[in-house]
Amino acid sequence: MRDELHLFRGCLIPTRLPFLEKSSRRVLEALRVEVEDLPGATCCVEPIGMRSMAPDTWLAVTARMLSIAESAERDIVTLCNGCYLSLKEAHHLLQDRGREEVNRTLGEMGRHYGGGSEVFHLLDLVRQRREELMSSLVREMEIDLAIHPGCHLSRPSSVVDAEGPFRPGNLAEVAGWTGAGIAHRQDWPSCCGGGLSGVDDELSHSIFKETVWDFLEAGAEAILTPCPFCFVQFDSKQRELPVLYLSELLALSMGLDGEEIGLQHHRVKPGL
Amino acid sequence: MRTSSFDPELPEELIQEDFAEFLRRCHQCGQCSSVCPSLRNGGIRPREVMERAITGTFELETDRSIWLCTMCNGCSERCEMGVNPAGVINALRRLSAQRGGAPDHLLSEVKLFKETGLAFPRTRLTSKLRGELDLEELEVDADTQDELDLIVKRTSMGRLPVER
Repeated sequence: MRDELHLFRGCLIPTRLPFLEKSSRRVLEALRVEVEDLPGATCCVEPIGMRSMAPDTWLAVTARMLSIAESAERDIVTLCNGCYLSLKEAHHLLQDRGREEVNRTLGEMGRHYGGGSEVFHLLDLVRQRREELMSSLVREMEIDLAIHPGCHLSRPSSVVDAEGPFRPGNLAEVAGWTGAGIAHRQDWPSCCGGGLSGVDDELSHSIFKETVWDFLEAGAEAILTPCPFCFVQFDSKQRELPVLYLSELLALSMGLDGEEIGLQHHRVKPGL
Repeated sequence: MRTSSFDPELPEELIQEDFAEFLRRCHQCGQCSSVCPSLRNGGIRPREVMERAITGTFELETDRSIWLCTMCNGCSERCEMGVNPAGVINALRRLSAQRGGAPDHLLSEVKLFKETGLAFPRTRLTSKLRGELDLEELEVDADTQDELDLIVKRTSMGRLPVER
């Protein structure tokens, strides 16, 4: 990972969950990451619904953003599992094929994709800066968490370079650094049902309930996720458990005030 | 409407896909279905979709189950033969969308994306929250929108039937 990064915020966080952007920015500042918003960013053509309808559009849109980072000689850090998979899979695919066609379109706007920038998730970044992070944590988080990585952080494992699709431990590891307890970890990262929200709400909710049921059974006090789509599901479709996004847990453990990072905007109040 | 079908072009079309290298290796073991959260809750049945896709009996006009996949990618991760059922579902969706078969929810998303560059709307609440949190206004500038328009025009999103 380069030292200079472009932050790609996606759509859901800046429009509906700006408080997650706030805590993420505070965490990046505290880690002294040289980060600048990706100029000319658009939606990544999310990989759950929209991409399947027009895969060539997805490839050109993502290649355009990768080319912008490339010309600035920066890598990209995303805050969302969807954006992460979308950009990462495009970058992966374009190593083998599709490059010429994409560059024909990009050429018309004076851009070129050459594969020179890599894509990382915020979780990758904080793990790579473990020492700085550990030294900035001042508050022991006394809370038992259900660890919910979300599907696209580890699948397809051939694309996202995950640690392996079975019992991923990265998110739980970072949670442990803050002193939080782990009440539940998934062997096979489970689905929040968010991808079907609006398409078939009943089915979406029934998938969602399966996942939350496991957390309740295990005695979790809150859910931890690095994905804003999962966050919305957990925060709006049940009342029993508060949810924390990755940067919120870290910001709290850095001693930041809950109100400053917008915890009051959660529907289920974390009480932290 | 056909009640039983055989569409020899469908498996041929799927076999053209980049992912389809291993398509014919599917031996219907059902591991895809064993991990599918949608199937467990009454949605898509990945093994059956695979069977119909490979044999050319998937009815694009009437079978809506491809839109009941959450794209969790569990099936493709689990498949020991490397067949990539999620890729097959994606390809069937593309063919269905080209024929006007996409769900309204996704069509509104496409419309919003084409018009604003984002998949979620900027509302009054967006500005209010961003202001309160001392974050800059969120903007997709005119040059970016022009570049997006060009990409949409040059690719298949520009040809998707979005109005019914």
